[in-house]
Amino acid sequence: MQNAKDTFYLMLQQRLAALNPQRVIVLRGQLRPGVLVGENEAPTAHTPVNCFRLTWTTLSIDRTSAMPLAAMQCEIRYATDGSRPMAAMDRGRLLSAMDSELAAALARSPQSTPKLNCSATDSGSAPTPMATSIFWSQPVFAPLTATGERLERTATVDMFAFQEAGEA
Amino acid sequence: MIVAPTSSAARTADTLLRNTGGRTVMLRMPSPAASLVSEQLGLATPYFHDVPLAPVIFRKARTQTVSGKPVPTELLVSSTIVELTVGSLAYDSPAVLFADALGIVIDGDLFAIETAAPEQAFGKAYLYRLILRAPLAQAV
Repeated sequence: MQNAKDTFYLMLQQRLAALNPQRVIVLRGQLRPGVLVGENEAPTAHTPVNCFRLTWTTLSIDRTSAMPLAAMQCEIRYATDGSRPMAAMDRGRLLSAMDSELAAALARSPQSTPKLNCSATDSGSAPTPMATSIFWSQPVFAPLTATGERLERTATVDMFAFQEAGEA
Repeated sequence: MIVAPTSSAARTADTLLRNTGGRTVMLRMPSPAASLVSEQLGLATPYFHDVPLAPVIFRKARTQTVSGKPVPTELLVSSTIVELTVGSLAYDSPAVLFADALGIVIDGDLFAIETAAPEQAFGKAYLYRLILRAPLAQAV
């Protein structure tokens, strides 16, 4: 399952960066495309804005076929406070831009990508393609929530991957 | 290094902190990340470094406890050391410094920073009030 989660993150990061290279975040002094996986970062009370935060929620495994099929749900949260020069009056437009970027990245064909084994990236090696692919559904956008000037939305995507032999 | 002159309110706060049990705690800061995919995937262990903060006062933020939740604690930090740390680590402001920090290490335990707010006199901070959350393992 971990390989599928890593592959989905890398796919989304690549597609979002291609759509809008200006959407970046600075995390621990490193400039990165504006997408992160919450469970892979340091726990903090600070909520980064103007970026996409991935959280993996539900998991189910169908073992009726020879190769088990894992279905995982990914919550993608994103928020904006608007920009200072515009006195936060552009926050609706900025959130709409994020809605469009996410929808376009996930709807772009193909809605699948070869699963990658990222376990060797720790030693500097590139992720290696595996035998099967991951594929995902269209995102479902939840109603917008407003807290003060902050506008936030959560989109959920169902992601599917076959469990290959010997895979964790 | 050029250090801005300390205001009289900050000097008074420093004296009060020192004389009411002022102690040293460590601010745990992340070291710059490596540009590796493995760090973004949670595979590589990031590095951290501890910066001493003194004088500070560490106390319970409230006396009543809520079952299953850690008691919030409060840390009063001298603005002098905060401004010095912001300058030496080249951060934009104390708010960015505390937002980037992993937490505060007190007697070997890592406390998460929930909020950090300055107390001001004549528009200048003389003290920083941090609300900390104890490690979940300590919740009773």
